[in-house]
Amino acid sequence: MIESLKSIPIGTVKIIGAIFFLIVMFWAVTRPRAYIFRGAPDQSAWRDLRIWAVIVLLVQIYLYMKF
Amino acid sequence: MLHGIDLFIVIAFIVGIFAVGVYFRKYVRTSEDFFLAGRNLTWWIIGMSIIGTNIGSYDYVGGAGAAYGVGIAQANYEWIGAIPAMVISALIFVPYYWKAGVYTVPEYLGKRYSQPVRTIEALLWGCFLIACLSIFFWASGVMIETYLGWSIWTGIIVTAVVVGFYTVSGGLTAVAMTDVIQLVIMLVGGIAIAIIGFDLVDGWGGLIAKIQPAHPDHFKLFLPLDNPDYPWLGMIFGLALVLSPAWWCCHQAIIQRTLGAKSEWDAKAGMLSAAFLKTLVPLLYVLPGLFVLALCTTGLDNKDQALPWAVKNLLPVGLSGLIFAAFIAAVYSSIDSTLNSAVTIWSRDIYQNFFKKDASDKHYLNFGRWLTVIFILIAVPLAPITENFGIYKAMQVALSYFQGATLATILLGIMWARSTPWGGLAGLVLGVVCSILLTATGMNFLYVAWWSFVVAIIFNVLVSLFTKPKPIEELTGLVYGLVMKNENIQNNLSDRAEGGA
Repeated sequence: MIESLKSIPIGTVKIIGAIFFLIVMFWAVTRPRAYIFRGAPDQSAWRDLRIWAVIVLLVQIYLYMKF
Repeated sequence: MLHGIDLFIVIAFIVGIFAVGVYFRKYVRTSEDFFLAGRNLTWWIIGMSIIGTNIGSYDYVGGAGAAYGVGIAQANYEWIGAIPAMVISALIFVPYYWKAGVYTVPEYLGKRYSQPVRTIEALLWGCFLIACLSIFFWASGVMIETYLGWSIWTGIIVTAVVVGFYTVSGGLTAVAMTDVIQLVIMLVGGIAIAIIGFDLVDGWGGLIAKIQPAHPDHFKLFLPLDNPDYPWLGMIFGLALVLSPAWWCCHQAIIQRTLGAKSEWDAKAGMLSAAFLKTLVPLLYVLPGLFVLALCTTGLDNKDQALPWAVKNLLPVGLSGLIFAAFIAAVYSSIDSTLNSAVTIWSRDIYQNFFKKDASDKHYLNFGRWLTVIFILIAVPLAPITENFGIYKAMQVALSYFQGATLATILLGIMWARSTPWGGLAGLVLGVVCSILLTATGMNFLYVAWWSFVVAIIFNVLVSLFTKPKPIEELTGLVYGLVMKNENIQNNLSDRAEGGA
């Protein structure tokens, strides 16, 4: 099995990595709004933690696709 | 040896940190103030404190050396090996710990599973954290000897007095606030090295041009499977899927800041803001390692000399002092957090749980303070052993013994109401046994972590299916599916947590 995995090109591995980040991102953005804002003093857009998660994961996707 | 101006900067930093830490003594009146900063921390303090705690002296020295040797693949430990886990921790684990109103991760496991599971986890983490203290004290002594010329013991004792005094005085509040200052110094130092380094190598393009011809893999994040230390499969399955979530979702020193948050939102936002800062951490040591590779034409005998070489040869007077202050900051922030977390676990999960259940709050506060002193008195004399017997490496292995099993136990505990106390115990114990056996075969620790996680999941599920689960009412607020859709329960839980249940 390891031998067959060795034949996977690094370009494909990058895509696997990007898919991993995308799965986490999809999971994060599908969290209920009430759950995300629970305990927040207001519901302004900058307090939407789903946006925080998307930004930080997009940076990762960029880095892993570039390098 | 540092120049006079550098020495002044370093001493000013040590005195300043001491003063700031002691200032927060006035905020500590109860044991909750001491262990959880009175549950009053805001998100940005939590985020900065988490990263300050996470960066240690070994990250600087060893990380720069690794980057010198293998390139930016070392950043995997900060990026794919941290960021996704931090997002998951922020949005699943942290809110459930916070709502449970617990002081420690083992305490959560006690509520979710049983006292034996809590005790095993508390002993594993409690012993691990004390051993880490000795390692950090030794690292501080070696670092101070290298740069200031003081003896190792002088360095260790100065560190113990400074960190010990403000940790005893101000508890988690002092620890978190000094972590914030220490992280700022680390980031300023890292940015300064980046500016000077890029100037010397003619920018990013120049850096690549100088390194890539001789080291074609130094600008690749994923390395081939036959790489002994950074195989891509291990990076994804061992590091990203197991070791990293285990660290960011289960490590007491990391989680404790979020337990001290003033609201559930602050707890979640604190962990996510830490993820933003984590993205910048390779600036601190990966870039310096690459700069040295590009500029040190004679090469280094020992790659761990990369950062000292950079400080000695690249930095002007004044900046060397700042960078050294950043090194000390990294050590101090790791020691204070580890100390406070070790004391919290031994106080809450062992002492209060087994020896003194119904004492006054003042008693637990005083006990926490005395235990802090005792742990320093234990860790300092043990510090040289960590050098003589290669304990640092042994501790890394020890951590891989129980991280996979811990993650599996907590993950099923939060996500699956059917997981039973016996299932949790079986998964935890057999997962640890599996790790020990696989490590004995010489398997890479990244793969050991993965398989111990899988084994712990399998046994937890199998045993749970044949044993009696806890009643649903005892799991309320502790399991994801049970409370997500029930607004009344959510509100009641928030009230309970705000009341410090």
